[in-house]
Amino acid sequence: MLLHLLKIDLKKLTSYRTFWVVCGLYFITIGFSTASGMEFLKWLASLIDNFGQKINIERIPLYHFPDVWLNLVWWSGFFKVLVGIMVVISISNEYTYRTLRQNIIDGLSRWEFLLSKILTNLLLSVLSVVLIFFIALITGFIYTPEINWSYVFTDLEFYPAYLLEVFSYLSFALMLGILVQRSGLTIILLLLAHLLEFIIKTNVDNYVEWLIPYFPMESISALIKMPLYRYAFQQIQDYVDPLSVVIATAWMVAFNYISYLKLKRSDL
Amino acid sequence: METVLSIKGLTKNFGRLCAVNQMNLEVKQGQVFGMLGPNGSGKTTTLGMLMGVVNPTAGEFSWFGEAPTSGIRKKIGAVLEHPIFYPYLSGQKNLELNAMIKECPASNIANVLDLVELTARRDDKYKTYSLGMKQRLAIASALLNEPTVLILDEPTNGLDPMGIAEIRELIKKIAANGKTIILASHLLDEVQKVCTHFAVLKKGNLVHTGPVDDVGKGAETVEVQADVPNLSDMLLDFSGTASVNRENGYFQVTLRDDFHSKDLNRFLFDKGVVANHLVTKKKSLEKMFLEILSEAH
Repeated sequence: MLLHLLKIDLKKLTSYRTFWVVCGLYFITIGFSTASGMEFLKWLASLIDNFGQKINIERIPLYHFPDVWLNLVWWSGFFKVLVGIMVVISISNEYTYRTLRQNIIDGLSRWEFLLSKILTNLLLSVLSVVLIFFIALITGFIYTPEINWSYVFTDLEFYPAYLLEVFSYLSFALMLGILVQRSGLTIILLLLAHLLEFIIKTNVDNYVEWLIPYFPMESISALIKMPLYRYAFQQIQDYVDPLSVVIATAWMVAFNYISYLKLKRSDL
Repeated sequence: METVLSIKGLTKNFGRLCAVNQMNLEVKQGQVFGMLGPNGSGKTTTLGMLMGVVNPTAGEFSWFGEAPTSGIRKKIGAVLEHPIFYPYLSGQKNLELNAMIKECPASNIANVLDLVELTARRDDKYKTYSLGMKQRLAIASALLNEPTVLILDEPTNGLDPMGIAEIRELIKKIAANGKTIILASHLLDEVQKVCTHFAVLKKGNLVHTGPVDDVGKGAETVEVQADVPNLSDMLLDFSGTASVNRENGYFQVTLRDDFHSKDLNRFLFDKGVVANHLVTKKKSLEKMFLEILSEAH
């Protein structure tokens, strides 16, 4: 039954050119930005060179096992917005073409319709994780000077965390789409979400600092924290914080539940 | 006869506007049921509730004696308002998608495309179709699951006269197979031509239901012409005559109850007058519809 619903939604997407363009962009940007990481380090080194200092980029193990896992997963997190936009387009098309209405008339229940979208979100999240995993694996093998198998399999817990990050984010995008119903406005809100939350955070952090980890965007990005500080001889969080997992999961459930309530109550 | 649809006290309010008010209605198997009413009288809202896209404010309805579920909707073919498809998919792919939703075999697609004569254009994108083709594709989609009930909302809207005739023939063909059809329309002529029963809605209220055959009943009007100078006086002599008017060169005789055109014909013949023109004029649905609407407040 679940597979049947997923197939229905994929049937809508796979003949839609925009879907392939966005997927292509996602793949290309992640692939290219990964490939150009070393070039960036060289550029950084030459910049610092100009100031009369020297850094040895060989000593920054950006793409070495096990660092490559966390570095790439953190970096790819920025591109999930592309998939989010695709999700928004997919759901708001159903409103603008009024095909949501027709789907219900033809015999889907409202919950089944939503489930077909959620399952697609899950599939897109899994595919993202698999994509990044393979890019990281290949990059790791290229750049790691000496392969130590115990390092290769270290830090892999960031991948399930990344799955949760992407899936929560896509759930948020789907909910926005169902609430707003217009693609342009929804995409703007999706892009502004981080900024809006940041503004609220800075205004409340003197009063209720304990509340900040519970903000939705904050909790999603807290799953995988910025790892680059470690090259500045600082401690970084090299584990997945269970509290972040709980908060992000709660938001993910809430986003999908709000979508369900809205869909159930509205006249289509 | 088996009851296909039973509606009890169905009501829908949009804020302060009452779109459908306390509707009670039954549709039996094999009926071609016409829903009439001016624009905004609540036809589409009613059908929307029956098809699960509009949440009723109050009241209930049942299909085939069962409470409505998405499973039951799969067995009903419906086109509400205008045709809705994914514009970037071909007709064929749109129907494949609908077959998946309705959980019916994709092998039906070829048949329904043949029926609505779209086979040649099936691989073209939906957005390239003309309005008539879109309507026909919608009907094809509604027939895909071989439904026993078909709901059509203004199926000939925006079509040219040939398209209208085609759709009408299609509806008759489908009805001949014993399918129950619910047809919402404001084209009265259309309803009179294809429907067996009809209901009239006004501002959300159901003001009339009954068989279409009843429309012609009641006082009969006969149009007469004969080559005699005193025809008018003779017609007034007939005991069944209620009134006589002269219109377009013909005499319009309105008969009393229980008198028919053949009685008038016999009367004239006995008087030695042979009419060269004698037509029984049935009251049209249009006339009756306007009467019903002006009576209901």
